[in-house]
Amino acid sequence: MSFPDLNFSVLAPIGFVAVGAMVVLMGEVFLSRARTFLGREITEAWIGSMLALTSIVFLALAIYAAWAAFAAGSSAVFNPDNPMLRLDSFSALVSGVIALASLLSCALAIAYLADLRINHGEFYALVLLATAGMLLMVAAVDLLVVFLGLELMSIPIYVLAGFDRRKLRSNESALKYFVIGSFASAVLLYGMALLYGTAGATSFEAIRAGFDAESPMALIGLGLVVVGFAFKISSVPFHQWTPDVYEGAPSVVTAFMSVTVKIAAFATLMRLLALAFGGLGATLVDVLWVLAALTIFVGNVMAIIQENVKRLLAYSSVAHAGYLLIGFVTGTIEGYTAVLFYLFIYLFMNLGAFGVVVALAHRGQECERVESFAGLARSRPGLAALMTLFMISLAGIPGTAGFIAKFVVFSAAVKAGVIWLTILGVLMSVVSIYYYLRIPVLMYMKEPAEDAEFAEVSSGEALVLGLCAAAVLCFGILPNDLTLPLLGKLRLLDWAQESVKLLLGA
Amino acid sequence: MTASVVFFYAFAALAVVSALGMVLNLRNTVASAMSLVVTMVALAGIYVLLEAHIVAVFQIMVYAGAIIVLFLFVVMLLNLRTDAFSPGRQKLVKLAATLIAFVVLAELLRVLTTGLPEAQPLPEGYGGYAQVGVALYTDYVLLVEVSGLLLLAAIVGALILAKRDIG
Repeated sequence: MSFPDLNFSVLAPIGFVAVGAMVVLMGEVFLSRARTFLGREITEAWIGSMLALTSIVFLALAIYAAWAAFAAGSSAVFNPDNPMLRLDSFSALVSGVIALASLLSCALAIAYLADLRINHGEFYALVLLATAGMLLMVAAVDLLVVFLGLELMSIPIYVLAGFDRRKLRSNESALKYFVIGSFASAVLLYGMALLYGTAGATSFEAIRAGFDAESPMALIGLGLVVVGFAFKISSVPFHQWTPDVYEGAPSVVTAFMSVTVKIAAFATLMRLLALAFGGLGATLVDVLWVLAALTIFVGNVMAIIQENVKRLLAYSSVAHAGYLLIGFVTGTIEGYTAVLFYLFIYLFMNLGAFGVVVALAHRGQECERVESFAGLARSRPGLAALMTLFMISLAGIPGTAGFIAKFVVFSAAVKAGVIWLTILGVLMSVVSIYYYLRIPVLMYMKEPAEDAEFAEVSSGEALVLGLCAAAVLCFGILPNDLTLPLLGKLRLLDWAQESVKLLLGA
Repeated sequence: MTASVVFFYAFAALAVVSALGMVLNLRNTVASAMSLVVTMVALAGIYVLLEAHIVAVFQIMVYAGAIIVLFLFVVMLLNLRTDAFSPGRQKLVKLAATLIAFVVLAELLRVLTTGLPEAQPLPEGYGGYAQVGVALYTDYVLLVEVSGLLLLAAIVGALILAKRDIG
């Protein structure tokens, strides 16, 4: 027996996040026992911010590790005998983006959790564990790792959805997500088992080599895997859980999961399609075409009639999943690049929009109804301006990053000859302007209904919202050559294209 | 008649009797579930006779341990009364169960009539504790560690949802 030559540097981003989770868990135990720390009195709020800060530090380390791996442009596997995990430029880039989204969610959560009096350290530990699961998923080159990563991502998020235990809707949301999510995992696992049956191994490479597009077992397996992921990305007709779960979960959890789960699931699906189902373009394109068309149509139409902002944003996220699926239908390098770029932009605009909802929450009375935004421009001019910016970006109006993202996806689709789907996408984007702009109209042109009392915007929230707004504006004007001090040139499009090219082996 | 044949018939008889006990015991769901435990343990005994020790241990841990405990929890928490098992409600269940039973029976008959393939001798130590342990801590060490993280997440989650004081 010989011990394999393990390459632990591949684990760096995941390791930082997982160790961070344990430090946070233990840290809370020790801090809540101590009365004073370095001569100052310990309060519950102080412990909360300390733990949030710890998580932010570990997530920043993970981002740095991912960035270093991306900049080196190398591709390394964890175990050469049995490559289960591969840190290549694609997984490094996506890992960094996911860790960034988790970091922003942690910063957003500090004041919100203190306000709701659910300021438990376990929140940050669960966020970090879920992030570790996502990082595993996007770096996997083996179905076993994909499944374990998916579960490690999902289980903490089921719990986070029910984190506000006093609220019945939060409990309902957690239970609903748990039952439907477990069902989706079972479907996915069944599909993976069938693929394993056809290929005789679980690695992406073996599945690619052993896939027989004529065998019904392989096709059923492929279909079940796609359905499992369709649940996670909330594609129609597997989207019914989305509005209920997004509405019931605490707003900051909704912000976290609406962004990170989508990025992780889409990136993993892309990796699966590129590495495991490589030669299957023709088999899958029709399925993805139908999914994309249904998702765009149903998501946008259902969003029109929503009266609750979180439900509205839930259906909007369904619609955005549809635009992203267009990129998959093309199957070209441009299409995949567009999907990746869209996911980066989606991070900032969606986290920003939910961040405003989080910032408006006050003592558990969430500002959720669309009418409660009436006259907000007078009472909270800053938040109203930010919300307007995120809404016009989500609608895809020029001058914002949302426009560039949609433009990149649609132009890749036209180049690949996916014309009808593009026409549907553009038409439904026009429809979406109606429901997105309803909120700014209410904020600027209506009188406030009653003198609503709002909490002050905390520094964490201000920082996150400011960063998201800056990203939406700057990437809207300079998507590919924004130069920042310290960070250098941010070439989002080129980075996405580079990593997709390496992934597809082109 | 060697000792292992005697043991095989003993375990097989126990499995059949306790399986019948589970199905025929309509009054008491807890007793039914306990009969299922006995069936699972008897099957584990047969696995031991086949020298599949690790499968036998998993059989006891997973089926006799975890799954039956889950069944008992559900039975006790839901507190089902006899009217939940009234004949009208059970029609569909019975139909489905009969269908599945016939499928299994047909499969069994097919295997018995066509005959089983000749048993191949296994390599030394195949499927034993040592080999499974080595595989888990070399080729699959990453998955073992990730499973640990998954269990940690589940424990923390369960404590948060069930134990934390509602402030």
